[in-house]
This record gives sequence, C-alpha cells and structure tokens, in this order.
Amino acid sequence: MAWRSKLSQSLRELRIHMCQTSVASKATREFVVKNYKDLKTLNPRLPILIRECSGIQPRLWARYDYGVERSIPLDGLSEPEINAKLEELVETAPQSKTPMHA
Amino acid sequence: MAPRCRRYPLPLPRSSTGSGSRRFSFSPVDSSSAAESGVAGSTSRALHSGVAWYAGIRGKFYEGKQSSDFYKWGSGLSLGGVRHARVASMAAVGAKFEAKPEDCIEVSVDGKDVTIAKGMTVLQACEVAGVDIPRFCYHPRLSIAGNCRMCLVEVEKTPKPVASCAMPALPGMKIKTTTPLVKKAREGVMEFLLINHPLDCPICDQGGECDLQDQSMVYGSDRGRFIEAKRSVVDKNLGPLVKTVMTRCIQCTRCVRFASEIAGVQDLGVLGRGGAEEIGTYVERLMVSELSGNVIDICPVGALTAKPSAFTARSWELKSTESIDVSDAIGANIRIDSRGPEVMRILPRLNEEVNEEWISDKARFAYDGLKRQRLNEPLIRSADGQLEPVSWARALKTVAEAALKVNPDQMAAIAGKLSDAEAMMALKDLMNRLGCERLWVEGNGEDTVADLRSNYLVNSTIAGLENTDACLLVGTELRIEAPLLNHRLRKAVRNLRAKVGVVGPETELHFKAEHLGNNAEVLASIAEGKHPFAQTLSKAKFPSIVVGSGVLQRSDKEAVLAAVQTISQNANVIRDDWNGYNFVLLNAAQAAGLDLGFVPGSRATVGDKSSIKFLYLLGADDLTPEDIPVDAFVVYQGHHGDRSAYRADVILPGVAYSEKEGTFENTEGRTQQTSPAVPTVGDARDDWKIIRALSELAGVKLPYDTLNGVRARMLAVAPNLFRVDELEPATPLPKESLPEVKAKLESSPFKRAIENFYMTDPISRASKTMAQSTAAFSRS
Ligand code: SF4
Ligand code: FES
Repeated sequence: MAWRSKLSQSLRELRIHMCQTSVASKATREFVVKNYKDLKTLNPRLPILIRECSGIQPRLWARYDYGVERSIPLDGLSEPEINAKLEELVETAPQSKTPMHA
Repeated sequence: MAPRCRRYPLPLPRSSTGSGSRRFSFSPVDSSSAAESGVAGSTSRALHSGVAWYAGIRGKFYEGKQSSDFYKWGSGLSLGGVRHARVASMAAVGAKFEAKPEDCIEVSVDGKDVTIAKGMTVLQACEVAGVDIPRFCYHPRLSIAGNCRMCLVEVEKTPKPVASCAMPALPGMKIKTTTPLVKKAREGVMEFLLINHPLDCPICDQGGECDLQDQSMVYGSDRGRFIEAKRSVVDKNLGPLVKTVMTRCIQCTRCVRFASEIAGVQDLGVLGRGGAEEIGTYVERLMVSELSGNVIDICPVGALTAKPSAFTARSWELKSTESIDVSDAIGANIRIDSRGPEVMRILPRLNEEVNEEWISDKARFAYDGLKRQRLNEPLIRSADGQLEPVSWARALKTVAEAALKVNPDQMAAIAGKLSDAEAMMALKDLMNRLGCERLWVEGNGEDTVADLRSNYLVNSTIAGLENTDACLLVGTELRIEAPLLNHRLRKAVRNLRAKVGVVGPETELHFKAEHLGNNAEVLASIAEGKHPFAQTLSKAKFPSIVVGSGVLQRSDKEAVLAAVQTISQNANVIRDDWNGYNFVLLNAAQAAGLDLGFVPGSRATVGDKSSIKFLYLLGADDLTPEDIPVDAFVVYQGHHGDRSAYRADVILPGVAYSEKEGTFENTEGRTQQTSPAVPTVGDARDDWKIIRALSELAGVKLPYDTLNGVRARMLAVAPNLFRVDELEPATPLPKESLPEVKAKLESSPFKRAIENFYMTDPISRASKTMAQSTAAFSRS
C-alpha cells in the first residue's frame, strides 16, 4: 500500500467522522483501530482528526491544498472498502498547485 | 436543644482536624464500629459540630445498614443527602430513579404523603413535597449547622418545634409546616434575629435579594419591642473582593463552613459567644482562595457583598443574561447582569455537571476589564509608526493586500485564549484557502497532535473526577489552572479519602496531597512501577491521572505523554466503565481549537519563527515582540489593546465574550454558547464576520455569510461543536493502535503554567480588580 505514505503529500488534513456507538459507524471504528497506527507512523505530520459525535453519518473528509475539501460517506461500507475510498481520495487529489487568488 | 455549631479558629490536634467534619468520618469498612465512633464523637468534642452531632444520629439510625451508604453520611458532608434529594425530586418527573424501595420511607407533610429516600432530613422531605421552608444556615452543599432555627416545623408527637434542617426524617413522621405553633415559633426567631440586625436595607447591596428581608416580610413583626442599643461589630478586611459589614451578620456560619469545606482554607471562624459572637479571621489575615467570591452568594444577608460592585446597582435594575465564562477552560455557567451597555456583575448559574453553583474569582470579578483598554475602531500603522484610525474597508483592504504579497509558507495565524469556535473556524478556512497551514491556538503549543479527542480532554468528566480514589497530577497546579476541577478532586479526597500524588511544581492544593518530585525521573519510575505511588494507583478502584497542558510547552512532551500513557495502562486507568485519563486545558479556546484542527497541516513549517512574513493574531498575546520578526506584517484582531496590539500593523476591533454569541468547548469536551449581554463598543464587529469580509477582499471568499452558515461548516469539521450543551464522549484507542513514541524524557523540571491566577488573558489583564487581587493575594 504505497499510497499510504503519499498521504501527507497529497492531503493537508484527513478527518474521519463517526458515531461512538452506532452500527453504521462500526466498520469505520474498526478501520480506525486497525489503521490509525500505520497511517500515523507513515505520515507523522498529517493531522488525522478522528471526530466522534453521537448519531452522525460516518464520513471521510480530505482537505487538499488551498482549502479544497472532499468527503465520502462511509455507511454501509466494509473496512477494506473504506481503505479503498481513502486511496481514492489520495489518488484523485486535485492537482491545482496555483494559489486560488493568483 | 441540639448543640449549636461553633467552629473555633483555635487549632485542634492535627490528627483530628483538617476540617470540622472529617474528624468524624467513619471507615467505610465496618458500619457498626463507625456508628459507635459517630456516637462517641457526638458525646465528646463533637458537640461543637452540628454535623458530627447529626452524623451521630445517623450512625444510630443506620446501624447494620450497608456500609457504602453509611459512608456518605459518615464522611460528614451533607452532599450524600443532597444527592438523595435530587434523586427523589427527579423521580417526580420520571427521570432516572435509582433508590430501591427498601431505601425509601414514607412521611407526611401537611397531610400529603411523600416517599423519600432514607437519610433525608425533614427539610428535604418538605422540599420533595413542594413546601418551601425558610432557612438561613442550611445550605445543601455545606454541612448542617442547625443554628439559625428559622426552619422550625412541627412534628406530631414532638412537644417542641424541631429544626427541620438538622432532623432526619423518620418513617411515618407527620410533619406540619403551617400550624400557628410553627408560625409563632418562626416569628420568635425572626424577632431575635432582627434585634441586632441594622435597619439599613435602603443602603445595603443585598437589598432586593436578601433572604432576611424576604423572610421578614412573612414572619417579621410590624413593630419592635427592643429598645436597647443595637450591637455593632467591627468590619473585617477580607481583601479587595469581598466587602464586609459585619453588623449585618446573623451568625449563620455558612461562610465559615464554605471556607473550610469547599474552599479548603481554615481562616474564617466564629469568635466569641452569645451577644459577642463574631465571624472573623482571628488574626488580621486575608482569606486566600480562588473561590472566595462565592461567600458573597451564600451569605443570606448583606454581611458579605461584592466590593468591586458596591453601591453601583440595585438588583431589580439589572438585566440578566445566561452565558458562559471564558476565563478558564472549565466553562462555568454564569449570569451576566447588565444595566444599559455596562456589565454590572457576574454571578454563577447552576450546572451540576460543570460548576455546581460556584465560580472562580477571576470569572466573577474580571468584568471591569471589559470596560478598559478596548479597541473600538480599525487602526493602521502609518509611515511614521503611529496607529491611525481608518475605515473598515481600508483596514481590510490593507490586510488583504499584505496577505496576497506573501508566500503562503511564510504566513502564520495564532488564535488567542478567548477565541470562539466560529472565529477559529473562519480563520482556519481563510488561512487554508490562502495556502497557509501554520496555525495554532495559544496554550496548545505550536505542533500539537489533535488527532484523538480522548488525548486532550478531561475524560472522567469534571463531575466524574469526584469518584476517583487515587489521582496522579502531572505538571499541573490544578488549584490555579482550574479551581473548579481542583474543588472536585478535593471532594474526592474528603469523601473517598482519595490519595493524590503530585509530579510537578510544588503547590498548595488546599487538600492533602503527596509531592512526589518535580522531574521526569519520578514520572519514569512510576511508569516502570518502581515508585510506591504506582502501587497506590494500581490498587485504586477508580484511578485517575490529571495532566496539565503546561506539559505541551516542553520539548519532550511526547515522551512525557508516553510515560503517562504507560502509567495509565499499568494502573488500568482506562477501562470500559471508567476513563480516568484527564488532560486539563488552560484556556477557553483550546478544546474547540483542537477539535477544529486549528493545528499545523501536513508540510507546514514549525518552530522557526524568523521566516514569518505575515502573522494573523486573533486576540493572541503570548508572543513577545522579540519572537515576531521585524519585517513581518502583523494583523491583530481582538477586543483589547493588549501586549501584541502594540506590535500590530493593522488592528481590527473584535468583540468580547459578553457581547457575542460564540461557541466554546470546555476541557471535558462540552459544547456551550455565550450570549450577548451588552452591546459592543464603537465600531467593533463579530470576529467571524471580520474574517469573512476579509476573505472576500483577498479573493478567497468563504462559503458562508450567516452565523448558522459558520456553524454548519463546523458540523463538517467537528460535528460535536454543533451539539450545544452536550458532552460528546471521546473513545480512547487501544494501545496497539497508537504509534510508537521514540522521544526521550528530559530531566528539566515541570514549569508553572500560570504565574498569576488573577491575570491570564486580555480581559483580566485590563481589570483593575484583578490588579488589586494580584497585589493582595499574590504568591508569597
Ligand atoms: S457573614 Fe453572612 S454567611 Fe457568614 S455567618 Fe454572617 S450572615 Fe452567615
Ligand atoms: S436551623 Fe435549620 S436552617 Fe438554620
């Protein structure tokens, strides 16, 4: 999974939203428990913000350069599928390297 | 007659003192011997304490009962009773009622049968029945003194009226509160109380909210029979915060009990007897406590009033606004009383989960800082170095132009201690859109990891810390950093005899704590299990650790936090039913800032400040002018012309917490909102609006233009900030899921995070009262 070490290259911040208890968030919780260590070790400077809030839809949020954000809902997905979604967010990072205001 | 409470300031032998009630606390192990000791106590010196006398009765009453229940009472505080009372009253509205039927008894109040928990007093039984009993000395959070006699009621088959606050309700008791006997008895008490109480209500600050005044309307006589001279008492000096008019004192001893039981200072006491009885400090001495202002609220008459607001307002002229305190990270619930555009005083609001009914002196008295040093119009530094007033349009344009000239890598933004979540959200979005990733919140450190909420919150919850039976404090002076959290820990020490160990600067916590040392080696040895305190923690049922956020300023913070993690694993501090890992923050902005990810993004420069060319300060004042490069363009957005405003190239006036609706998250992760009590000064604007306007001029327009729009955006970043007044718990990750830490502990000692409790933020630094308090109470 070479893309994982590229996370901090293409992303500025990764946010994972999930509920502490709901069934819909179960796979996301598992994903975090299994993968947080690996992701953080490979990308020590990337904020991986795990944000829990009761009753919310599990979601992946990626923030790229210049404040561009994308999100993918995760309910109904299994843990490997979440992994694939994250890869998708990394691989399809917007390429705009020019400042928005320039 | 029941013995009256007299607390003499004379030192009693150490083994049996500490606090008046603790000397009679019983071991939770053996209830029958406890009962004996309670009874024995009540026959000896204990006669001086209403509590002890009461506990003695409880002892008899509870003989052979479950020890844990007994313990609550034995430990002397009336709190056990309060809790019972709450349970019972909650039962009325169908909320969780946990008392088992065998723990309930039936009594009748004025012919109405009510079921109450065992151990409640007659007064509490009346409360459950919805009958209000007049009282002066009784206070649900203090021990029972039973010395004002205002709460007299009639109990069938009892020859004399009984003081309901000090009398336990017994099964089948028939309580009567409206009989002529009761009325006459209370009238008698009132007449005696008024003998020596001055008739100065028109010039008394308590007027309009005085218990004595209110009760005298019901039980007072329309003429006096007392023709002798009234006594007068010399006023005591309690410092710049509490004004005393001791002639008005009715010797209820609430303040004495508050000082020794809640604040933990043994300075106040009762001197003299009979007509010569006085409240005082015995020797000329100030009561040094961060919670001292609360005696003003608990004093039922005008003997103790607020000195800073003396003679400035009458209670009925004031408009009250419910809000949240921002002077520390506890988020105490407050009521801002204002008259016109001016904040006249700040009082606590009841919230059992957060501040109960107390607030710290800084929260209560720093408000005069809101009227001084305010920034009221946009300013630009002109060519000759002077700050000149300009229009908003010009100020914002100047900032936008300056920002666009700079390489995003050379920009940075710092959010100050009092920033609300909305402003931080807007500023983060703005800076990110400009390409800048170098953000931090004051107090959080420049490169703090904000990934897991459980790592930076008080996970046991503020109220939950009361349940701990062993606590390790790491790098924190809890009493100064979070007085109300310290009070909770103090309760644990008093009620559960919690053992507290301190690794960090030596400090007075107002309860018994063992200072283990002030260096990382001690921490390491506890982590390795070599230190005896490691055993204390592992043996505890509810072990807890409190880490101060001063730790974040250390260069080896990762190693310190890793050591704490190890300690917490070894002692099983985090389990499914209890999470005792607590990280206590210092400032109101910190928790929300971390939740929103107001931290450096990946690939941001960290550390070296010399490359900064554009610096945005959102009310941030901690950087010294030397830290800011000379050629940097500095924007200061805030409400006070504090330290960093002097270095600013452009000043954008924002609003203070008393003037805006802002979201704050407290140190346990509870989201709360302030509400505007007074209009803002001059041309100042809501902080998020300033940033929103700036974004448009900088060509990176933010996609929201209403307050709800910003909050919807917050929902996409940290959804818990959208849940106002709720606490979203944070689940800790198991150890296997956490990355390994390679950093090494350094031997440097832990530093004090706060040098002066009274002056920590722009508002309290501008406050005259806080300056006076600093002079009067500062560390010796
Ligand atoms: S000063 Fe107030 S609180 Fe203290 S004993 Fe007198 S009346 Fe009671
Ligand atoms: S004696 Fe009961 S309230 Fe004072």
